[in-house]
Amino acid sequence: MISRRDLLKVAGAAAAGAATAGAERAALPAGAAPAAHPESLHEQSSPRRPLEALTADEADLLTAIVARLIPSDPSGPGAVEAGAVTYIDRSLAGPLSSSREAYRRGLAALERYATLSRGQPFRELSPTDQDSLLIDVETGGATASGAGFDGSSAAFFAMLKAHTWQGTFGDPYYGGNQGFVGWAMLGYPGVRTAVTPDDQRLGARPVPLRRSAYDTDLFNKA
Amino acid sequence: MNRRHLLLVVVGTLAVVLAGEARAPQSLIVTSPAIKAGETIPRDYTADGRNISPPLQWSGAPASTREFAVICDDPDVPMPQPFVHWVIYKIPGTATGLPENIPIDPATPMPAEIAGAVQGTSGFRRPIYRGPAPPPGKPHHYHFRVYAIDAVLDLKPGLTKRELLEAIQGHIVGEGELVAIYERKPAPQP
Amino acid sequence: MAQTLKGADVVIIGLGAAGGIACLPLAEAGLEVVGLEAGTWLTRRDFAPDEIRNNVRDWPQAVQKANHEVPTHRANASAPTTRAASHPMMNGVGGTTLHYWAQSWRLNPWDFKVVSETTRRYGRARIPAESTVEDWPFGYEELEPYYDKVEWETGVSGKAGNLKGELDLRGNVFEGPRQREYPMPPLRGTGFTDLMAAAARGLGWRPFPGPAQINSRTFQDRSPCMYHGYCNRGGCHVDAKNGTNVTTIPRAQKTGRFRVVTRAHVTTIDVDARGRVSGVRYVTDGQEFVQPARVVLLGAYVYENVRLLLLSKSKAFPDGLSNNHGQVGRHYLSHATGASVTALFPFDLNTWYGLPAQGVAVDDWADDNFDHAGLDFIGGGNLWIYSDRRPIQAANMNTFGRAPGWGAQWKAFIRQSADRANTAYLQKTTLPYEANYLDLDPEVRDPLGFPVLRITADYRDNERRIAAFIQDKMEAWYRAAGAIDIVRGPLGTMGPNTHAYGGTRMGDNPETNVVDRWGFSHEVPNLGILGGSVMGTSGAHNPTLTLQALAWRTADHLVRSWKSIAE
Repeated sequence: MISRRDLLKVAGAAAAGAATAGAERAALPAGAAPAAHPESLHEQSSPRRPLEALTADEADLLTAIVARLIPSDPSGPGAVEAGAVTYIDRSLAGPLSSSREAYRRGLAALERYATLSRGQPFRELSPTDQDSLLIDVETGGATASGAGFDGSSAAFFAMLKAHTWQGTFGDPYYGGNQGFVGWAMLGYPGVRTAVTPDDQRLGARPVPLRRSAYDTDLFNKA
Repeated sequence: MNRRHLLLVVVGTLAVVLAGEARAPQSLIVTSPAIKAGETIPRDYTADGRNISPPLQWSGAPASTREFAVICDDPDVPMPQPFVHWVIYKIPGTATGLPENIPIDPATPMPAEIAGAVQGTSGFRRPIYRGPAPPPGKPHHYHFRVYAIDAVLDLKPGLTKRELLEAIQGHIVGEGELVAIYERKPAPQP
Repeated sequence: MAQTLKGADVVIIGLGAAGGIACLPLAEAGLEVVGLEAGTWLTRRDFAPDEIRNNVRDWPQAVQKANHEVPTHRANASAPTTRAASHPMMNGVGGTTLHYWAQSWRLNPWDFKVVSETTRRYGRARIPAESTVEDWPFGYEELEPYYDKVEWETGVSGKAGNLKGELDLRGNVFEGPRQREYPMPPLRGTGFTDLMAAAARGLGWRPFPGPAQINSRTFQDRSPCMYHGYCNRGGCHVDAKNGTNVTTIPRAQKTGRFRVVTRAHVTTIDVDARGRVSGVRYVTDGQEFVQPARVVLLGAYVYENVRLLLLSKSKAFPDGLSNNHGQVGRHYLSHATGASVTALFPFDLNTWYGLPAQGVAVDDWADDNFDHAGLDFIGGGNLWIYSDRRPIQAANMNTFGRAPGWGAQWKAFIRQSADRANTAYLQKTTLPYEANYLDLDPEVRDPLGFPVLRITADYRDNERRIAAFIQDKMEAWYRAAGAIDIVRGPLGTMGPNTHAYGGTRMGDNPETNVVDRWGFSHEVPNLGILGGSVMGTSGAHNPTLTLQALAWRTADHLVRSWKSIAE
């Protein structure tokens, strides 16, 4: 659950980001999604898009986890706002369906581990305890805790992190990187189908192009 | 360099060598208000609990102590070297222990009484305390070893146990440890 | 019930880098040729600049045969066996030339004569005792005309460094003499590669732009490169990457004598009563076909070449086709490309665009280009710096111990540093060893029930010493260019690799080699083998151009010796 204070923080960060986003917006093709701004962030955070694979409880837990992996903070939005959970949910209903069971078991084990080790469900823990718990999952400390991780808890964390990164920094076509928040975080100037010598100079700052590969009509969709 | 200077250098070196040999580290007494020697470490200091760092106290450091360092490791792992759970150093010589729950976020400052302390890289490859998380089967022993150091050394954060021990070699004037155990039971079949 | 098709003069198994070359000289010479390819045609519309599709999901629109047949690996006969999640190569008309890096190097003349040249210069004792390395049956000069042919027929960009013995510092002065310039100038430099080139010159080294099978300008009516940054494991959206799918294969088809059969999953090579190959068996959609042919050219990847031979057992070849001397699977090696060096700079490098073939090379420490008298290894490495960065890859960058891998601190790090790191590509000499080999896995099977290949291989001291030496050189180069931090990767072990060699080695001695100097089996006169599996040394450069030159030469030989081979 996102508290009112968190929402205010996000809104503040996005407002700060908007001040520097003028150049990006100028380069947007007509009809493309604009760079992140408070309204769209709010829409994306709540209510969530209809789920295709995950249960609502799983999606809530996953949202709380990815909020710690790539947090929203004064520097800008994070994995939640990017829609990493939507990316994971859609992928689990499609190309990553073989990982569906691993998520079911992994998330249940993580939630059991939260209660066993810290006495509360993950979402009720303080951010510090959430981070501490995630470190234990990441490093394998949670493996033999009796929470029921399949094999090493580190393997579950590695999968979850990889998918969160894909959902934050991949092409928005797959449901993540909404508002191109991932690409803005990295300073990636965007997908261009032709790059000039000047674009490759040291010190060059190509105008960020914010579009999916599939916003052009050049490519078959996967 | 003239002869006289050379002689001085030689004598000086000898003095250092002799002093080094004569100077076996003094024994420190290491205790914890939360952990009893030889007994089970409470869950809060393990991966089965909040996994916060435990409070430690020490006494008996020689007057020449300028800094302390603390290493926690587990020699009972099925590996050639003990598994390292904690590396913390540049603890001011005025300190008589470590408070509980050293922050895991490096942006949060260290508690005032150990201001300046930095953490090294553990076997979990993180520069923070991570407590016992042993494979089930038998009790493991956890050694909280405290070193008194007679110099303020230029030590970067993030050192491994081995790097730290190499760096403080020749400067250890006091040493002591607290040993406690922890055991995980085999998981019930889900 | 297998359906037997109309016979062909030649059937080629696999239309990738090698088979896709051989089809052209054969069809042009008037032979009726059938090419069996497990994958399908893909077009530029399939090559979206999409990191998830290309780099994360292994081209979901393509046939996934290779990914169902990933070889297992163990470092030695008593080590545990592991299996990677995906195969480094792909299926499709054009094979891995669809998504490869297109670095298009000739081998150094030394690579053909490792044994004799090492013995002459340093003494025989310098060759590791357990290595099975041999000189090639011929030298660089023999292959030069075929290098030239492939460069001009497919299109390679580059700058000559040795034109008929005349050295030119703008190119690679360590290369063997070439008869003429590249057909196209090199791909352009970038701000970062120019910076690195200047730093190399400051160290007294001789940097040069590397050769690429990519158009630096319009060539054969195809577009020049657009440098958009998605052809590292991606296809080219303007057909500027000169894979066999857009070069030699379509031209062979235009002769009217080359038939491409896609989705053909080859299972065995048939042998007649005389011990000659009679055709190839394949499956499409559950239906089995037999394609008879007078000559079979086996041109799958190294792993599948060896596996198909071992699976093709017959009365005449009870241990697998062409394996009566027990040499199939031996003398295996894969290029040492681990032991990476990654540098952090205090400024943005602007390498978001570009491609792995757009870069700057240093060969001063490759092959025998420097004196090894006081060293404890032979061979060396090519240092390669290039412009390549995609968003997910960037977000997974090494944090140089300056931040953990996630969380607020990581985010602050990545916001500042996403465009500040660079990883060098370091290809290093690897030798074949007695204990490194390929055979069939006793347990793991593919979906049709055939065993997958098993790799038993690990690096030895020679490779480890080169790795440490080359990492030192690379670190010095990065530091000279202003790097503030360096991380070195481990050499790793010899799992499935895009640069695999051997298993059907070429040589005059049938006791230690599977194919003769022309690429035809010592034991089966009408079976030719194409690809890296015939190469006995790796050199310090990408193998594709060399195995393409060899494929052209084998096809040429077949045309010239048609009667004696086919009848």
